[in-house]
Amino acid sequence: MNAILVRLEIVRALRDPRYLALAVATPIGFYLLFATLFGHGPGVPGDLMVAMSAYGAIWAVLSTTGPRIAQERELGWLTQLRAMPVPAWQVFAAKTAAGIATALPAILAVCLTAALVKGVRLDAAHWTALVAAMWLGTAPFAALGVAIGYAVNADASYVVCYGLYMVTSAVGGLWIPPAQLPESFRAVSGWLPSNRLADLGWQLLGPAPALWPAIGILAAWTALLGAVALLAYRRLR
Amino acid sequence: MSISLHAVSKSYGAVRAVQEVSLEVRPGQTVALLGHNGAGKSTTIGMLLGLTAPDAGRVAVCGAEPSRAVAEGRIAAMLQDTGMMPGVKVGELVELARRCYPRPLPAERALRLAGLDGLAARRVDKLSGGQAQRLRFAVAVVADPDVLVLDEPTRALDVKARVEFWAAMRAFAATGRTVLFATHYLDEVDQNATRVVVMARGRIVADGTPAEIRRLAGGGTVGLTRPGPHDGLAALPGVTRVEAEGERVTLHTADCDATVRALAPLDWRDLRVSPASLDESFLMLTEEPEKGTAA
Repeated sequence: MNAILVRLEIVRALRDPRYLALAVATPIGFYLLFATLFGHGPGVPGDLMVAMSAYGAIWAVLSTTGPRIAQERELGWLTQLRAMPVPAWQVFAAKTAAGIATALPAILAVCLTAALVKGVRLDAAHWTALVAAMWLGTAPFAALGVAIGYAVNADASYVVCYGLYMVTSAVGGLWIPPAQLPESFRAVSGWLPSNRLADLGWQLLGPAPALWPAIGILAAWTALLGAVALLAYRRLR
Repeated sequence: MSISLHAVSKSYGAVRAVQEVSLEVRPGQTVALLGHNGAGKSTTIGMLLGLTAPDAGRVAVCGAEPSRAVAEGRIAAMLQDTGMMPGVKVGELVELARRCYPRPLPAERALRLAGLDGLAARRVDKLSGGQAQRLRFAVAVVADPDVLVLDEPTRALDVKARVEFWAAMRAFAATGRTVLFATHYLDEVDQNATRVVVMARGRIVADGTPAEIRRLAGGGTVGLTRPGPHDGLAALPGVTRVEAEGERVTLHTADCDATVRALAPLDWRDLRVSPASLDESFLMLTEEPEKGTAA
């Protein structure tokens, strides 16, 4: 693995003000709004915390992969890398790793807000498990972002990423609890990676966490979207 | 050989970008690859770097396959119009490139060679056109390659930036490395290359020192003063164009000797023969076949 390439990919994502605004600040704002409006039932602030963590994490990963890769393809930076001793798999791996890495601050920011402002309490083991599970659970979105980045141009990639983000967030039950979704949404919701990413967190907040269904569906999406990403990449060669 | 192309061809659909090109470049040479847009320069460079696979022929860089030469850091390139990673600093990017190569220069040395000292903390996307171009040079030169390839390195640069750029390139070439650069600016060739390879329509049409290229084209201008009319002059051997201003006539010719011999019996004075500028030689070398097909 090309450590400095990964590090630079992360650094430049964190320096982008849009990242802070959309992937970190916005989920915090929504969390505070929703938790204040609807957060009176038992466990609701915690459930909302998980939903908004997923919401921020998904955008962090999508925005640091898709539009960036498309932009770099158009700029010719990826061609420059091909003329350097950097194997293609390292570029691929660095993009994916950096995308996933940027999800962590988004998750931590919402969790911290929930703990400090809304009094969500978990023991250390549960906090660690919840953050780690949701962090790794963003893998399918990294694959999706890479696929979009290689498949469409820079302008379109932003629109496609944002569109998919909004749709999967809404249908996946990040805005409205899955139980209150319309019947037609509920049928697909459980198959979506957005829903299953949050499900990891919701399960860990419950008394008897059942993680395997979520892990299975997220892994399947990762494999599928990873294959699509590879095809989109190969098509360009 | 630093670079060895043997009967290399590459087509894109019906477009024959490079046709049967053979070229050998010895270590330490600074070679200009001269040609108009579409002459096949960038395709040739792409094949040297393993970015483009030739349809036929053999390509070797430092005796190895191009992709292997790239992986071993023996060849590094500044490609045409490749943007640099946005959102990072100049120093970070050069350091990234440095770590990718097996025997690199210190990053500070590459920055100094490129005239970027003091700009290491500047964001890549905040550079001027000339600075961005020199950053691309730094990213290539930090590899300390045996062969440095530059594809139209001074495109879109103003005069001052071009002068600065070539100073940086000459400083690197002076370390005894092989440099191959593509350009269509002739003035750059005269000052910066010891050898000129002229490409046109995918083929090499001339190869020599800048002075030899001028001679090869054989052309020049013959100036003389004589009373008009000047009608008959255009028909003299070699003459391609006649310019007249009162009694002073300038004949553009492809063959000065033949033109002057034919002039001998005529009535004239103040004869002056000048060799073609490299610009004119270049036009002659690259356009001749087109005239042939037209006629």
